[in-house]
Amino acid sequence: MAEGVSKRWGSTQALMSATFTIGPGITGLLGANGAGKTTLLTLILGLHKPDGGSMAVLGVDPFRAGAAMRARIGYAPEHDALPPDVVAQDLVRHMAEIHGLPHRVATARASDALYEVGLGEERFRPIGTMSTGQRQRVKLAQAIVHDPALVLLDEPTNGLDPMQRDEMLGLIRHVGADLGLDVVLSSHLLDEVERVSDSVVIIDAGRAVAGGRLDDLRRMGEDELVVELDIGAVEPGDVVARLAAAGVAAMMDGPRIIVALEAPSVYDAVRDVLAESGAGLRSLRRRTRSLEDVFLASGASGYADGLVPLTS
Amino acid sequence: MRPVEARIFDEGYRRYDGTRRGEAAAVRSLWAHTVQRIMGLRRSARHKVLPFVSVVIAYLPAVAFIGILSLLPADRTRDFVPSYPQYYGFISAAILLFVVFSAPEALCPDRRYRSLSLYLASPLTRDTYLLAKAAAVGTVLTFVTTGPQLLLLVGYVLENHGPHGPQGVLLMFVRILGAGLTMAAFYTAFSLALSSLTDRRGLATGASLIVLAGSQAVTGALVFGFGLPSALLLFNLNLAPYELAVRILGGHRRLLMLPSTSTAVVALVCLIWTVVGAIAVWARYQRLQVTR
Repeated sequence: MAEGVSKRWGSTQALMSATFTIGPGITGLLGANGAGKTTLLTLILGLHKPDGGSMAVLGVDPFRAGAAMRARIGYAPEHDALPPDVVAQDLVRHMAEIHGLPHRVATARASDALYEVGLGEERFRPIGTMSTGQRQRVKLAQAIVHDPALVLLDEPTNGLDPMQRDEMLGLIRHVGADLGLDVVLSSHLLDEVERVSDSVVIIDAGRAVAGGRLDDLRRMGEDELVVELDIGAVEPGDVVARLAAAGVAAMMDGPRIIVALEAPSVYDAVRDVLAESGAGLRSLRRRTRSLEDVFLASGASGYADGLVPLTS
Repeated sequence: MRPVEARIFDEGYRRYDGTRRGEAAAVRSLWAHTVQRIMGLRRSARHKVLPFVSVVIAYLPAVAFIGILSLLPADRTRDFVPSYPQYYGFISAAILLFVVFSAPEALCPDRRYRSLSLYLASPLTRDTYLLAKAAAVGTVLTFVTTGPQLLLLVGYVLENHGPHGPQGVLLMFVRILGAGLTMAAFYTAFSLALSSLTDRRGLATGASLIVLAGSQAVTGALVFGFGLPSALLLFNLNLAPYELAVRILGGHRRLLMLPSTSTAVVALVCLIWTVVGAIAVWARYQRLQVTR
């Protein structure tokens, strides 16, 4: 939980009164490059002290708790951080020991973690001989090997091709959903946050501009109905006029009609109007918002700064 | 039907409810990992060559002298085998090799490959990280500054070459430890300080060699060329720790480069060099930007 957290690096205001709560499950930390996501992760790790505001991670102040708290956190940085001349199994075991696991347990869990990320057969290879995708998996393995209470993944799909990216997102979902670890996934890619996250915090220019469970955010648009008609049978404008005459607020949205769902009786009114007009109904559904809609509604200015929309 | 006892050996990834060791264990783990790295253990054969050669250079003469003592009559070897301080003359090359490649191997890759960010996201802090690294470099250096003399002590005692009596053996044991640890601490601080300035192992090794050779050349020219006071030789980083080690080992006056300088002054200068090196590396790592 963060309350009014600010952090400045020299003349750059990285975070500005950011207030948000990260709950269980997988939380996407969404924002454009330079929005302050990595700064936020370092504050969660207790590596820096916020200039203002307060934070609680796993129930403690991360900067004060420091080492003891970091033993319960797994972290995979955005950049390459693995020594190429070390065998994957040795590195992952070493990181487990660093996080407090006894040697024998660390050795066993290193194998398990590497199997879990799909590197069971490759675990005795030097990291330098591995592909980018495999190295990202090793980073994930070293972040989960010590059974952390919280896993922080900073842009985990950086440098991956589309297939590797899909596999990595699948692994992250597996870590969160099947292994039951709470994950914070930092990304500037809307679709990957939408695909794997249960919750989202949107960061824009150092501020947390929106946040919450994705289902809740999507449902915020459910006070509207989307009506799609068969093209050519009836003019949509005609239907909108008939709805208005029946006391139902409606508007055109391209080929669709958006109807305000003010009361359950609106369903009956729409049915009656469509039947009277002879329009062919293609679909009738409650409106749900995509993460992109949520992002745009938050007022964040990410696209200009490198945030990748769903359509890219 | 008899019940069958079954056990699952491969349970896969699972939650861990056991005890978690604290910060001290993290330091121990990093220390062990770094010592292994410096010695080329669990790495390919080419990484083992330099440490292996250094160890051979350091220990082989001791083994040879002990062999000579055991094979030849005492009256023919008495003046032939070196004293404990004299033995430094045989192993200075091994010590130099360890000094110039240990600290770069310990510090530089973590910054070059940015693994430092993984360590600082663990229970380690910048201070405990440096403590583990310094302990690892110090351990490796102690292996060559102390080990050969201890081997010599065992061999000499068994061959009745001295020191004599339990007290004499114990005293020499303490002297060897003191001299070796002092030299290891001096060179650990020095080499870590230089290695903290670059993330390239080769550059750090080269810089260490240049500074060691440069300090020797400059002080030598000033003292022997321009006739300046011989105390300036204490700025010779190749000489100062040896001068102190020889004194700790109770070496003869003729073995000293600075016989007119008191041991307290030599010790103080070595201490200052060590502290300056330690502060330099500590300050460098406090300012180092790892993650933002």
